[in-house]
Amino acid sequence: MAYLTIDRVAKTFGEGDGAVEAVTPVSLGIDRGAFVVFLGPSGCGKTTLMRIVGGLESPTSGAITLDGEPLAGPDRRRGMVFQSYAAFPWLTVEGNIRLALRYRSGLDRAERSHIVRTLIALVGLTGFEASYPNQISGGMRQRVAIARTLAADPDVLLMDEPFGALDALTREHLQTQLTRIHREAHKTTIFVTHDVDEALLLADRVIVFSSRPARIVEDLDVGAQLGPDRDQDVRDRADFIALRRHVQERLRAEYAAPERAHA
Amino acid sequence: MWSFRKPIPRRQEVILGLAGLFVFLAAWQATAMSGLIREQFLPAPWAVVEAFFGLFTERNFAADIVISVGRVWYAFFLAVIVALPLGLLMACYRSVGAFFEPFIDFVRYLPVPALVPLLIIWFGVGEASKIAVLWMGTFFQLVLLITDDTKRVPSEYVESGFTFGANQWQVMRDIVVPAALPNIVDNLRITLGWCWTYLIIAEIVAASSGIGHVIWSLRRFVKTPEVMAGIVAIGIIGLLTDQAFRYVHRRAFANQGR
Repeated sequence: MAYLTIDRVAKTFGEGDGAVEAVTPVSLGIDRGAFVVFLGPSGCGKTTLMRIVGGLESPTSGAITLDGEPLAGPDRRRGMVFQSYAAFPWLTVEGNIRLALRYRSGLDRAERSHIVRTLIALVGLTGFEASYPNQISGGMRQRVAIARTLAADPDVLLMDEPFGALDALTREHLQTQLTRIHREAHKTTIFVTHDVDEALLLADRVIVFSSRPARIVEDLDVGAQLGPDRDQDVRDRADFIALRRHVQERLRAEYAAPERAHA
Repeated sequence: MWSFRKPIPRRQEVILGLAGLFVFLAAWQATAMSGLIREQFLPAPWAVVEAFFGLFTERNFAADIVISVGRVWYAFFLAVIVALPLGLLMACYRSVGAFFEPFIDFVRYLPVPALVPLLIIWFGVGEASKIAVLWMGTFFQLVLLITDDTKRVPSEYVESGFTFGANQWQVMRDIVVPAALPNIVDNLRITLGWCWTYLIIAEIVAASSGIGHVIWSLRRFVKTPEVMAGIVAIGIIGLLTDQAFRYVHRRAFANQGR
């Protein structure tokens, strides 16, 4: 059995005539340490599925298990990085990271300080410990959010289009850093995006979703096809370009498809 | 000077502000001097200034100010210590909100002056009824404002807290309260201003001390300059309180710059 399993999970918002089916029964197994990207058109329900994994949304039917254990509400085992900059504006960079450490037991002062310093270095924010979120750039704020989520030491890292609101250069820079962070911290990661390049650059495995309600249309082992540890230059390789074209065609077909009637 | 929706230099802003004030005072002075309106109705600005200082030297006005300010702050404090926890609970637990909202919404629309006779029947003409008037006037507004401020805390903040492993109480204390605090403090400032309105009503109806009482008793002798001076005193106290609140807000939340 896979480390993280999504077992026939479905989600419908609302009831009766106003009901909207966001996720049609989806089953998926994710290995420990894998970097999985959920790719799909905007509003297709991939974020909803990830929020169900995070316990932030309850499924209408189906179940999530982690290491064989069923999961319900949100807890420390699944950390979340949001699209909007959720770094708390009333705390410094260091204060944000310390807050996430606060609810972990069995750490003494020295250990907490060590973790904070290590994480700040990991996301490249050394020197900005005492800055407040409004004094740093959007990309830096998102790095605070990533470091903070890692500080809680979750088993699974969930990222909801974390670079969606950033300019292209900052996004590339953070993508490279995230690849490095994943190599070092080796967290099981689910990353939601609608950006094909981003998906093929970061992922070991890309799950392509249909338009709403979300259904898996393709499960690509990108790690095997393009090789591990890719950098930005991979975008120019022929096999990357071919794979991108393939994925884009799948997405276009989905985008053109009329929304399916409710089951 | 006429650039659309653009800032102007700070110096120009100050000069314009003073000019506006000066034009108003000059028009007032000119009208008073023209003799078109009897002095009894419109005394000259200078007469009001004299009356203002006269209130302090001849009528021990300072003691009345202390009493009025004390009433406002005491009632306001009582309103805040109940409204703050209740507002937080109403925003965080939908069931608490559903239970209280209809009742609070109803009371909120009752005009406070209409409650004065009832409150006097209940609490007599002493301090208790005045505090009750002020409390009724501010508490119900404040609860709903605090509830709204708390609801506006982004759900990402709260969800982040739960994924750090915090429980509901810890999320409330460490995330919801600090996130809502700048807006709550701003609403406290605004509600404290309303408190003054109700204070004057309470002091006019039944009081033997306080700014409202002084103004009302001077009216009986048609001492218009003194009546105006009393009103100006309220304005000055309000302005100072407001500026103090703004200062604290700026200092406390400087880093959050929103």
